[in-house]
Amino acid sequence: MISPTRRRLPGWVGAAPLLIFLTVFLLLPIGANIVTSFRVKGEFSLASMAKLLEPQYLDAFIQTFNLSLLTAVIGGAVGLLLAWALATGKKPAWLQNLVMSFSAVASQMGGVALAFAFIATLGVQGLVTQLVLQLTGWDLSQSIQLASFSGLVLVYLYFQIPLMAILMLPAFGSLKKQWPEAAYSLGASRLRYLVDIALPIMWPPIAGSLLLLFANAFGAYATAYALAGGRVNLVPILIGFFISGDVMSDESFAAALVTGMIIVVVAAMGLRVLVERKSRAWHY
Amino acid sequence: MALLERTAAPAVQAPAKAAERASAGDILRTVIIAAALLMFFLPLVATAIFGFSLPGQGFTLDPLREALAGTTIGAQLLNTLNLAMLSTAGSLVLLVPTLLFLHLKAPGLLRFTEWLSVVPYVVPGIALVAGANLFFRAVAPGFMVSLYSLVPFYMVLTLPLVYRSLDAGIRALDLRTLWAASESLGAKPWQSIVHVVLPNLRGALLGASLLSCAMVLGEYAIAALLLHSTFPVFMVQVGMNEPRAAAALSFLTILATWLLLAVLARSGSGKTTAKGGSR
Repeated sequence: MISPTRRRLPGWVGAAPLLIFLTVFLLLPIGANIVTSFRVKGEFSLASMAKLLEPQYLDAFIQTFNLSLLTAVIGGAVGLLLAWALATGKKPAWLQNLVMSFSAVASQMGGVALAFAFIATLGVQGLVTQLVLQLTGWDLSQSIQLASFSGLVLVYLYFQIPLMAILMLPAFGSLKKQWPEAAYSLGASRLRYLVDIALPIMWPPIAGSLLLLFANAFGAYATAYALAGGRVNLVPILIGFFISGDVMSDESFAAALVTGMIIVVVAAMGLRVLVERKSRAWHY
Repeated sequence: MALLERTAAPAVQAPAKAAERASAGDILRTVIIAAALLMFFLPLVATAIFGFSLPGQGFTLDPLREALAGTTIGAQLLNTLNLAMLSTAGSLVLLVPTLLFLHLKAPGLLRFTEWLSVVPYVVPGIALVAGANLFFRAVAPGFMVSLYSLVPFYMVLTLPLVYRSLDAGIRALDLRTLWAASESLGAKPWQSIVHVVLPNLRGALLGASLLSCAMVLGEYAIAALLLHSTFPVFMVQVGMNEPRAAAALSFLTILATWLLLAVLARSGSGKTTAKGGSR
């Protein structure tokens, strides 16, 4: 039996613990960071944010942007193909489950373990490197240097592709099997079916997922750090150096780097919300 | 080509065309899936072989044993397991009562809390640790010294997934009816929760816990930058000099993650979190 006092509790009391928790451990820290990035020596100043435009730091943002964009686009395209193959094929259930469960693991796996897995495979002593070297004399580890921009692209794809596949599977579920049949029976070519029917339905989830992939890569730290350390100029790595005190500590500028990163990620995720709202409007 | 096909193909040919398309499509699908499996498994197999063998010696635990000799891997592993358990328990204790209360008494607020729950998505771990460093060093300098200060940040990081998994589980129940039935039989609220709601939420609770554990097991950025010694931090230290040992540990980590997520896929909540996957 609910006591009368319980009954009178207003609804927000129920949300209060969550709200307080997030305020203390998420909103206040981020708020403190943003305030710090706009303060130099106790006064409001845009100096730290302006410093982001200095060549060295601008380059870090451009490199991180390129890395995220490239892995989102390539990973998105391949992941889309994989999702299509998984969603529309008639394959034994065990195979489907294997690929699905693998995708779930790999999409969560960005991190230290992934970096070492690639060093074991394609590093200088890596298994595949040695195998190819013995068979053909070609040194893979020279062609694909893991601790470089292109190496990071390769490794990031390992979690971007499965992530895209997992994100896109539900969207393929919403494409009715009868639609291509109906279109073909009316004489439409496959291309026309894709352009006129599949694409208009699929583009919002595709664009939304690409934006998520982009944000995912932009904030990734562990994999890049374990593989490349300071050898690739990336924003998360720079932030890491500032926090751990490996470079001259300028609290306000370190905070500005973080603010810059949050702005990029918020922009990507905000765009995602807009795009997906569009897709909902289409469905209902 | 497409144009020609469209204008010239008589209707009679359509079924044959469709069949041809289907078989070509099937081959393409098989190729894509086979290629994906190969690309995904190659690094895993290579990691296992690299980590558990030495050239010309076959299977051996020597690289791992040598690298681990004189280290305190047990302590780091224990730290990580403790963090995983505490973060998971913390998330459940925070979210289950909150979500039950909101679903029963204030469903109007669910939109708001759902929106709140995805805020961590726009704050990468590296940004959270930077902000936390600034804020808590100013407000409560002693706080970050303790290993267990990581717990609330891990709860924040896992919040989007855990929230969604629990919310989906509650939505799949007919909570109001269950609650009313239990109440009408004279159960107190805590009795309804413990004896009626929680047993019915088993799947979602398990799913949320596994996701949370899987994420905490692999978390590196926050722990490393707040100078706490967890298992992934240890792995990076070892990996600097001992690639084979790092490979062996990585393989075991990936295996453990897979195991957790496989249990998740088999549990009831797999259906709710991966709804799309089952078409």
